Amino acid sequence: MTTLVITCFRNVLLFGSILLFFGSCYSVRLVSTNGAPMPDQNNRDDWYRDKRVLVLDTVIKANVAIDKITIPVKRLGCESGQLFSVEYKDTFGGNLLYLFTLGSKRKVKIKYVCMKPEN
Amino acid sequence: MANTTSHPKTHWDTLHKNGPFTLKLLQITQLEGKANIPSAIDRYNDAAIEIQRLIKEASDNKEGFRAYGARWSMSSIAHQKDRMHYNSYMNLDLPIFSEDVHLASSYEHNNLFFFQCGNTIKEISQALGAHGKSLKTSGASNGQTIAGCISTGVHGSALDIGSVQDYVVGINLIIGPNPEDIVYIERHTKPALANSFIQKINSKVIRNDKLFNAALVSLGSFGFIHGVVIEAEDRFLLKRYVKKIDKNTALKLAKTMDFADSDLRIEGEVDANGRPKRPYHYKVFINPYTNEDQYVVEVMYKKPYISTYPDPFNTIEKSVYRDLIYLLIKISEKFPKRIPFFIKQLQKQILPEVNEESLGTLYETFWDAPYQGPAFACSFGVDSKNAEKALKVLIDLTKNEGPIPGIYAMRFVKKSEATLAFTKFPVTCMIEIDGVLWKKSRNLMSLEEFSRRMIQVLKQNNIPFTLHWGKNSDWSFPGLVEHMYGDKAKEWKKYRNNLLSKQMATLFSNGFLETVGLSNNSDTEIENETIDEDLIASLLD
Repeated sequence: MTTLVITCFRNVLLFGSILLFFGSCYSVRLVSTNGAPMPDQNNRDDWYRDKRVLVLDTVIKANVAIDKITIPVKRLGCESGQLFSVEYKDTFGGNLLYLFTLGSKRKVKIKYVCMKPEN
Repeated sequence: MANTTSHPKTHWDTLHKNGPFTLKLLQITQLEGKANIPSAIDRYNDAAIEIQRLIKEASDNKEGFRAYGARWSMSSIAHQKDRMHYNSYMNLDLPIFSEDVHLASSYEHNNLFFFQCGNTIKEISQALGAHGKSLKTSGASNGQTIAGCISTGVHGSALDIGSVQDYVVGINLIIGPNPEDIVYIERHTKPALANSFIQKINSKVIRNDKLFNAALVSLGSFGFIHGVVIEAEDRFLLKRYVKKIDKNTALKLAKTMDFADSDLRIEGEVDANGRPKRPYHYKVFINPYTNEDQYVVEVMYKKPYISTYPDPFNTIEKSVYRDLIYLLIKISEKFPKRIPFFIKQLQKQILPEVNEESLGTLYETFWDAPYQGPAFACSFGVDSKNAEKALKVLIDLTKNEGPIPGIYAMRFVKKSEATLAFTKFPVTCMIEIDGVLWKKSRNLMSLEEFSRRMIQVLKQNNIPFTLHWGKNSDWSFPGLVEHMYGDKAKEWKKYRNNLLSKQMATLFSNGFLETVGLSNNSDTEIENETIDEDLIASLLD
């Protein structure tokens, strides 16, 4: 009986850990329904395979008075100047950082793909 | 000048990771900017010079050279061990005016469009949309380049239309390094472009039906496809329905294609006599591991274009954690008996939702299919009359000797005139199994073994078949191409050997061609063939 309870508890713990692990961060991606993504021969194993993805992964220093942050799109790799997709990732660590620094450090992780230039 | 960057490599892979394959050099050509060469035709010709330079370089080094686009093919058809050229940035489109159309042409000039090889189906659809036009059909998605589509025979399920290559009416090929090595080929019975236009793209014209049909599904081996002329049509809408219907009704339709007398009745999709209309598209989904008496089918009807229809992009896509899929595959490799259970659990992600309806253009209906991890697909073409029998044989194999982590579907395509089109039957039923790529284990056979068994059981049951050139199979199966195409394979080789010089035939060959026996393995083989200039003569001025 004791063994059965321990096994059950272990399974629940494992399942819970997996859920927590998966749920600790998530992404939302906005994708254009027009235009083709900038191609790239990369070896990625995710949605960005064969797409030229630009990643902005930084911690921005701010203060309590700062409301919004605007970041320019890089020119290299984004010759069309048009966006095909933008992905924002919310992480557990990023939220903790914001909380413990009272908003003075803000973790930003954005991936974006530009449009393939028309010739 | 167009500019090429060369990247030394050791390996190359397909989009769906069906390799890796060895590679020495990857070359990527970028076109000269509009600011320096404003005319699109001049930039097109400039790119042709650059490609000829690359061909010469490869030839001088006694190496092979092969162009590829979106690398969507899962077979090794796009691979060349020496030099591969990535075409994606070569995406010009050239305007065709009424004076550019041949006097004997039966095409409406405003339906003809010239696209450079690296244009994807998506880019072409958008370019056509700007003119109020549409492609006649596409594959299930839009990421393939036009040159890749026609070289491998990409198809949808347009019963009365055909495959992508079937609306291509002219092909511009670079077949060598010299100025006279640029040819434009079209049918002599259906000419499209005027000689004056062909001169503008520095090409020699050959109007010859048989040569054109051979070069249409070329397996990438008739030279570098630099551009194609397509026939578009007026923009239209597709009304799409997903239904669960009686299995026998679905299979009877697959066999007879007789929709008017069928039990598939969809409200509003009947003719004046109240009989079901013939759809534009019909697809059947089959989970081989369930014995349900109903199948999910996808049916589409063509509608005139109107601008006031609801936005078809109204759903939020949610993707399953990739790690979870990999975990299921790992478990499947160890415990294959769990595969049917996993497929049932993932059914919602794999199959369209029953009773779903949508209305959109071809472009909107067959939209992006983003990469979702290593995948496999095996696809057989059979006469639709044999569809039910062939499906049963393949499902029995999958259940008895599998299970395999994939589900089946059937699509239906009109016969193609291309010499090596796998859509060679009056209506070809493409029976395909798609799924997640797995590794052979003690309990689970490999993809190669499964592919071989599929060929064997179809042969044992005397069901004539073809194979999708861009999908997985046991391509080294003895006598495979002869079995599928008979004399047509010889005809294809004959036209290729007459169009290309011996040196160029070798340069544009690859391992895939050698494996299936369509390459010339020895000089003797080429010399034994009669070179017949008349074979590739232009039959119309």
